[in-house]
Amino acid sequence: MSLDTDESSSTPNLFAPRYKRVFTGRNGLAVSIVSSVALIGVLVALFFWAPGSATVRYYYFNGHYMWQSFVGHPKTGLLSVGKGFLTNIWMCLLCEVLILILGLGVAWIRVSRSPLLAPFRVLATAYTDVFRGVPLLLVVFLVGFGLPALGLGVLSSQSPDVYGCVALTITYVAYVAEVFRAGIYSVPNGQILAARSLGLTHGTIMRRVTLPQAVRTVIPPLLNDFISLQKDTALVSVLGAIEAVRAAQIYESTVFNGSGLVVASLLFLAITIPLTRFTDRLLDQDRRRRLASLS
Amino acid sequence: MRTFRLVLATLMGATSLVAISLTSSIAASASSATALATCKTTINNQEFTKGKLTVGTDNPVYTPWFVNNKPSNGKGFESALTYAIAGELGVSKSNVVWVYEPFDNSYTPGPKKFDFDINEISYTAQRAEAVTFSESYYDVTQSIVALKGSVVAKEHTPAELKTYLYGDQIGTTGLAYIYDHIHPTQQTRVYSTLDEAVLALQTKQINAIVVDTPDGQYMATSEVENAKKQADGVQVGQFPSTGEHYGLLFTKGNPLVGCVNVAISALRANGTLAALTAKWLDIYTSVPVIKP
Repeated sequence: MSLDTDESSSTPNLFAPRYKRVFTGRNGLAVSIVSSVALIGVLVALFFWAPGSATVRYYYFNGHYMWQSFVGHPKTGLLSVGKGFLTNIWMCLLCEVLILILGLGVAWIRVSRSPLLAPFRVLATAYTDVFRGVPLLLVVFLVGFGLPALGLGVLSSQSPDVYGCVALTITYVAYVAEVFRAGIYSVPNGQILAARSLGLTHGTIMRRVTLPQAVRTVIPPLLNDFISLQKDTALVSVLGAIEAVRAAQIYESTVFNGSGLVVASLLFLAITIPLTRFTDRLLDQDRRRRLASLS
Repeated sequence: MRTFRLVLATLMGATSLVAISLTSSIAASASSATALATCKTTINNQEFTKGKLTVGTDNPVYTPWFVNNKPSNGKGFESALTYAIAGELGVSKSNVVWVYEPFDNSYTPGPKKFDFDINEISYTAQRAEAVTFSESYYDVTQSIVALKGSVVAKEHTPAELKTYLYGDQIGTTGLAYIYDHIHPTQQTRVYSTLDEAVLALQTKQINAIVVDTPDGQYMATSEVENAKKQADGVQVGQFPSTGEHYGLLFTKGNPLVGCVNVAISALRANGTLAALTAKWLDIYTSVPVIKP
């Protein structure tokens, strides 16, 4: 197979950059542009055509209200959606670190073979089963209102942000542990046999042979979970924490304009779109790496 | 010259306006009697069912606004007030007809199947775009609910009130009161429902809730409980009125509201409204008034 890019060839070049693969064929680029413009044009026209369009545009897309809700208006008690979003960001960063560490730990326990760890394996399995099955919102409620009700001193007197983080971590560790486990199982057995033949111990094999390969495989799905986690920080608002969505809702109920909700959406997009693009690129690289190994 | 004339005209206009308003206030008491007399004849053409006063309310209804879920027994503040208004307008007790109107339907746009609805409905500018409200028959104040024996229950000077951690339901007048008048130093927790705020208060995640006085009275005596299921709330105090009030609700633009307003004014002037408030709403009026 030639590595040269040949546009006229009927067989697509699997090694070409993504945009070239998408826009190949005769007039590929032109056709793509025309069809995109036509589709977007129809959707935009429909939006402006709708009988309630003016109301919707005023209620959700008013520039003045969007800006005011973003910066807030302390004098009148209006909260800033932008400031609220900082809560979302620090929560998701802190949680992600905890989730990766704990998730790896749970996965490690689940793939372990030591008879000594048998009860932990059962616990870890039960844990992932339960918390992947319970809706996150319920976990947030149970942690956020349940822990304080226990009256356990420090454990019961934290801020809603902290309880929110605990709930998010509990749920996401269950998912991420399964992702790690799948990654670990994806490493060919031959690798482990080879390592063992070199006299490496079980722990060393895990650290030096299995995990590096496993983690590389699961980076894209992990990023997926991270994006999802970033959005789910909004659920913590039910505990009374003022994050971007709750700040926007308070703004809406005070000013009777929902433009703040659109601002909150844009802020989430500003984080998630670059992350999604980045994940896509990683997937692409990974795909090319694997295709290269085939040829 | 032109400017001078303009100023002169403005001055004359202003003087005559003052004169008119002066006369109107002097003549108010006298005119209310004549207005009432006129109303007794005109309302016949404005009533939903001719010769009857059709009044809507929810089911069930609660004390002290109604007693025994029976609006027609004349007991409870809103029932007694309805019959007092009917009396002012010359409608006999037997001609007052009660119909069922769910609270959430009451302030939606469209024609109504009653003359007015009386159901502790707060006047808001938003609702007033869909329906017509009478003038106030009860001014709603905001009050503070906290746990019995808590620091809020003992110390609540304006300076002390700023230091507490508040919680409230989103979109309520109580939350607006916290933001606009109390200005607490800690960020207020905002919940989706009032029940969650109560839960947060019970588990000591917040120090206090600001809620209107009637709701706060119920919350403090029936909703806030300790671990042994005993009532654990206290209504620390109520704040001065900010103009929030309950009004009778009419179909948008119903002309009958004019005569009902005259009747309410007459009841206020002759002390009946104050007497009814003292008789039925004592549990609310007796809450000590504190400053934000």
